[in-house]
Amino acid sequence: MRTRSLLKSIGVVALMQLGGIAAAEENAATKAIEAAKSYSGTTLKSAEEAGLMAMLGMNITGPEWKQLTGIGLNVTEIPFEELFPKQMLEHKAGSGAYDVLTIGPSWVADMVRNGALEPLDPYIEKYGVKAEFDDIAPAFKDWMTFQGKTYALVVDGDVHLLYYRKDIFDDPANKEEFKAKYGYDLAPPATWKAFGEVCQFITDKYAPKLYGAGLINTGYMHFFFSERFRTYGGKFFDPETMKATVNSQPGIDALTDMVNQLKCQPPGAQTWGFGESLSALNSGEIAMTITWPPVARWAQGINADEQALSWVPESQVVDKVGYALPPGGHPELASGILLAVSPDSKNKDAAYLYIQWLHSKQESLKNVMRPLGLRDAFRISHYESPDFQNLWPTAADYLKTLRQGGEQGYSDLAILETYKYWDSMGRAVVAAIGGKDPKAALDDLAKEWDALTEQIGVDRQKAAYLEWAAKPSAYRQ
Amino acid sequence: MRRLGGSWGRSVIWYATSIAIVAVFLFPVYWIFSVSLKTPREIFRFPPAWYPSRPQFNNFWILIRDGDVWSIWNSFVLAFSSTMIAMVFGIACAYSIVRFKTGGENLAIWIISQRLLPPIAVVFPIFLIYAKVGLTDTYPGLILLYTAFALPYVIWLMRGYIQEVPIALEESALVDGATLWQLLWHIVIPLTRNGIFATAVFAFIFSWNEFMFALVLTRTEVITYPVQVSQYFGAQSTFWAKISAMSVLGTLPIFFAVAAFQKYLVRGITFGAVKG
Amino acid sequence: MVSSKISHIKPTRDTPSFKHILIAPAVLIMLVMSVIPLVFVIVVSFQRLSMSDQITSFEGLVNYWRIFSDARLWEAILHTLTITFAALPVELLLGLLLAFHFVGDRPLKRLFVALLIIPSVISPMVAGSMWRLMFDDRYGPINQIIGWVAGEHISILWTINSAWVYPAIIVADVWQWTPFMFIILLAALANLDREQLDAAAIDGASSWRTFVEIILPAIRPVMMIAILIRGLDLIRMFDIVWQLTRGGPGSLTETISIYAYIRGFQEFDTSYIAAVVVLLMILFSAILVFTLKKMEIAR
Repeated sequence: MRTRSLLKSIGVVALMQLGGIAAAEENAATKAIEAAKSYSGTTLKSAEEAGLMAMLGMNITGPEWKQLTGIGLNVTEIPFEELFPKQMLEHKAGSGAYDVLTIGPSWVADMVRNGALEPLDPYIEKYGVKAEFDDIAPAFKDWMTFQGKTYALVVDGDVHLLYYRKDIFDDPANKEEFKAKYGYDLAPPATWKAFGEVCQFITDKYAPKLYGAGLINTGYMHFFFSERFRTYGGKFFDPETMKATVNSQPGIDALTDMVNQLKCQPPGAQTWGFGESLSALNSGEIAMTITWPPVARWAQGINADEQALSWVPESQVVDKVGYALPPGGHPELASGILLAVSPDSKNKDAAYLYIQWLHSKQESLKNVMRPLGLRDAFRISHYESPDFQNLWPTAADYLKTLRQGGEQGYSDLAILETYKYWDSMGRAVVAAIGGKDPKAALDDLAKEWDALTEQIGVDRQKAAYLEWAAKPSAYRQ
Repeated sequence: MRRLGGSWGRSVIWYATSIAIVAVFLFPVYWIFSVSLKTPREIFRFPPAWYPSRPQFNNFWILIRDGDVWSIWNSFVLAFSSTMIAMVFGIACAYSIVRFKTGGENLAIWIISQRLLPPIAVVFPIFLIYAKVGLTDTYPGLILLYTAFALPYVIWLMRGYIQEVPIALEESALVDGATLWQLLWHIVIPLTRNGIFATAVFAFIFSWNEFMFALVLTRTEVITYPVQVSQYFGAQSTFWAKISAMSVLGTLPIFFAVAAFQKYLVRGITFGAVKG
Repeated sequence: MVSSKISHIKPTRDTPSFKHILIAPAVLIMLVMSVIPLVFVIVVSFQRLSMSDQITSFEGLVNYWRIFSDARLWEAILHTLTITFAALPVELLLGLLLAFHFVGDRPLKRLFVALLIIPSVISPMVAGSMWRLMFDDRYGPINQIIGWVAGEHISILWTINSAWVYPAIIVADVWQWTPFMFIILLAALANLDREQLDAAAIDGASSWRTFVEIILPAIRPVMMIAILIRGLDLIRMFDIVWQLTRGGPGSLTETISIYAYIRGFQEFDTSYIAAVVVLLMILFSAILVFTLKKMEIAR
């Protein structure tokens, strides 16, 4: 409290005469809170991903924001798959049902083209603190702008990591047996082939007590397939003709392996989503999984007493989980969360200020350290924060791997109407996991993609694709 | 003696079979009630427990704490207001159709076919219009749609009930100098009172249970309970505690309504086509 | 059901205005909510509105032509018919068996019937959620029961595996709507002519012959109504499938309604779905007018 009142008085003085000097002391969180006080008594409506994401707003940041500024927060939960369509639909319906929008980076272009996002530059000019923008890791900063304008602020930097059981991997007997069988050292797998072998080895030895891996096999499948597909050397389109090339050999191999590697996963893993995979890791039932960053905090039992998390089994693997990049070394920068302001909002300033507060250096650090809310490090200062590095014994390791993942990861495909291409890809992958022949599933996918491209216009889509493919993070050659 | 024993034996078999049938059909309902009383930890227990080890109402309390129960209130407001409006206009319309043959057979068929069209085909154009005039996610917009949805139902059922009123009563009243309004108000409505109640209850239940219109047209302000339930199927976890508790809240009122109006049920669910 | 007795009031001086005043509000509401949207959707079906296009000029029949080459739509129609033709006979047969079981008076019968009707009055959306929970691989009782019979836990992935999704949907639908068939058929059986049945019994007619020659013709009209109502319901089916599979895995269980919802409200192919909706309306209205007139329900 003392710092805040000190800053406040500096602010007041600055307003009177010393603008230049006070700027050095500025902090985006405090600035947002001060400015927001003039909107006290209003209520913001925010659309958020159903479940843990939304719990942060409902249980923690919402009440805190209300206490700090007098502005209430009313959260609507929407399942991830429906976030984009519902928010777009809302804009088309124009009722201003949401002030604060939750979006993924690959939707920015489509939403901007449909006028569904408020340009934020004037607000940043008015309330923002420039210095804090330089602190954002480059991969995530790139998400916030489209054609030179800023439309959203990142609050969550997602990177897929491989989580593995150090006690199993470091066990001398395991090491010896594995080496004897496969001719190389037991270690977090660097290739997908090795992943399959390590997984099978552990399952053969420990099942049904412990399985080699338990991956996420339903929901978000376009992320997991995109990552694997590109690791196998696949390209989404032929850059000349814009014909879909997802059914090329790398695609078929990637999907076939994905399906085959279900064999070393627990029975029923086909239906596993984020929650099931996390539960299994926490209860010590699987030795590897590939998932989002908050899992590290959960497995470590941070905030385990939180009531809202009671469905997550208490971690039996504290201090036993190691972190590595997924096979291939280029993790998907899977979605990530940006917050934006709806142009239909009747309360744009307050909405922006709430976002700025969550995005600020000071406030975001708190949120990326708790497992609840699924927010993950996206600032250099997060990776380097001593508080975070000391949160648990291997936290520094985790942050290092995250940072590396951010630098080497694949960015999500972002073209025109990406949502439809993803939806189509997700359906194809789930169909293959459900028993359809991988090649047939991918052939159908390619057909659907071609039809989509045809409808949208081959030339228009080609231009968008080439622009995306030119990014180093697109294919990581 | 043999006969008596045989019929006794048959009775036992009959009751045993009946209980078995009822048990099978009610088991899913029992299951969701039981889940709603478990702790979240117990819900995610494998293998699942067939009854809550220590029943508790915390899942319901969380719905209240997080404000999710507003969706029940919204469902009530929408279903109640649209039913009331549809009853008033529907009874009048049905009376006119029955006693004055207004519009003939074609009007009657047009009315009922309005109700039998696929909801997606109804709501898609409505959405386009509502988006233009700003009626999405508002009470008036949803009440208007639900009224239009309930009207054909009310008219068809009331048509049947009014036909059962002996016309002689109205004719003799006319001879005595009653006005046409008085016929409707003093003869027809009192004589069809039970039918009116039953019709209103079933019209209410149909709107209460409706999912697709609400899914398309509600966001935050007037979200109904079925839409609220569907949103608990999150990507990280399926929130069974909330799903079960909200489903129980949405289902309980229907139990009471059906228990009270069981006699009219067959007529109610067949649009009056089968008298029961 | 069909009566020819005169039941209308002879016209007097006031009737013309009175009868029109009475129907005016109801008809007006229904007209506003059907005709204006219909005109609007027809207009939109000739434009080109989508996520990346906002072309409002007249584009001809482009969207209608696309329907013919849209394999996913035709598959959705096939899925819908599959569910309809699998579920409807089962519901009818089970409903009939239950009706025969419960016909006749016994103590507690009314209670059993009242309990049995519960599935059909629950919101289909809630019913879908219930069955999603029942079919859960680990936390649901179905696989648990199968496990008891088999002696070990067997993972049947009801909502994911392409071999099991249809059985899952059909089980849920049969569970919810068999009671509907049952209670209607029970009413029909209860109204049967006792004397005729007794006479048949004295003649020594076999119960199968009694059923085919006497009972079936007598309950036929009611049965047709039940089939009509359920058939229309099944063709419009959305809620249960949406909750169980959301049309998945892939697009394997997309019904017409789910397909139109996804394309119209998640992918914003506004003009194309407008065309689909226009065709759907025309098709449905034609079927409805034809069957309703034929069945003389309107009298």
